Amino acid sequence: MKTMGLWLIVVCALSLSVSTQEGNEGSAATAIRAREREWVVAQSRNDNHALDLIFDDSLVYVEYGRLVTKGDYLSRIKRAAPQLSQIVMEPMAVRMFGSTAIAVGIYRERTVQEGKVRVRRWRFVDTWVFKKGTWVLVAAGAAPLTE
Amino acid sequence: MRTVTLVMLLACTGTPSIYAQELSDIDVTTKIVAMEHMWSQAYVLKDPKALERILDDAFVNVESDGKVITKADVLAEVKASAVLQVLTESMVVHVHGDTAIVTGVVLIKGVERGKAFAQRERFVDTWLYKNGQWVTIAGLVTPIRE
Repeated sequence: MKTMGLWLIVVCALSLSVSTQEGNEGSAATAIRAREREWVVAQSRNDNHALDLIFDDSLVYVEYGRLVTKGDYLSRIKRAAPQLSQIVMEPMAVRMFGSTAIAVGIYRERTVQEGKVRVRRWRFVDTWVFKKGTWVLVAAGAAPLTE
Repeated sequence: MRTVTLVMLLACTGTPSIYAQELSDIDVTTKIVAMEHMWSQAYVLKDPKALERILDDAFVNVESDGKVITKADVLAEVKASAVLQVLTESMVVHVHGDTAIVTGVVLIKGVERGKAFAQRERFVDTWLYKNGQWVTIAGLVTPIRE
């Protein structure tokens, strides 16, 4: 769902509309939204321990046409050089299928590279599975929105 | 969570019950790989009917341009398909109980508006065992830049 790098995050996504939306949903969907936010926060802090708990060991992540495993992802976070970036989550849709959940949404990524600010919006689709009492991410991917 | 590659491990590990479980996952993997191929062939044969059973009604796919398409969109796309050939270069299945994740690379060849095209794409699909059969509930495809 998110690209690599050390991110500074502006958490400004919890608008009233989102809160209302969550209030109307089941607790499982709310839990998925919470996990999505945990992921963003953990990544912003380079918190590999938290990410380790969020990601299933067999996680497959597709970005820019590449396949990234959990090990790849965590090692890249670990050695990521600081860069000024922001991720802002837009409202997402969560569909529940028993112990499986699909989250589809958009996030806005603002990066600063060589003094230039770049803002891109990405559509993501994440698959969560309820395992051993918690929701873990088993698959994820994102594609840049062409606007 | 096991992949097809674990088949080899079965020969030298495990109790009969574990063996049975592994076989079960292998069965699932075989079924899903077959359905992925059916999916590809539906585009070549312009046969949306073949996909009716494979795609869940709530299916969504994120396209390489970030757009989300539904089952109805896919069926319409298949009907008007310009695809002549789909070559599967790799496919790996991870089974998580009633859920399976498939990742792979396909080379798609076709002719659109008189022009031949070839596009290599990586995909990730989520399958769910629902009402006694496997259906796909979500997917994402991104082009592989050479």
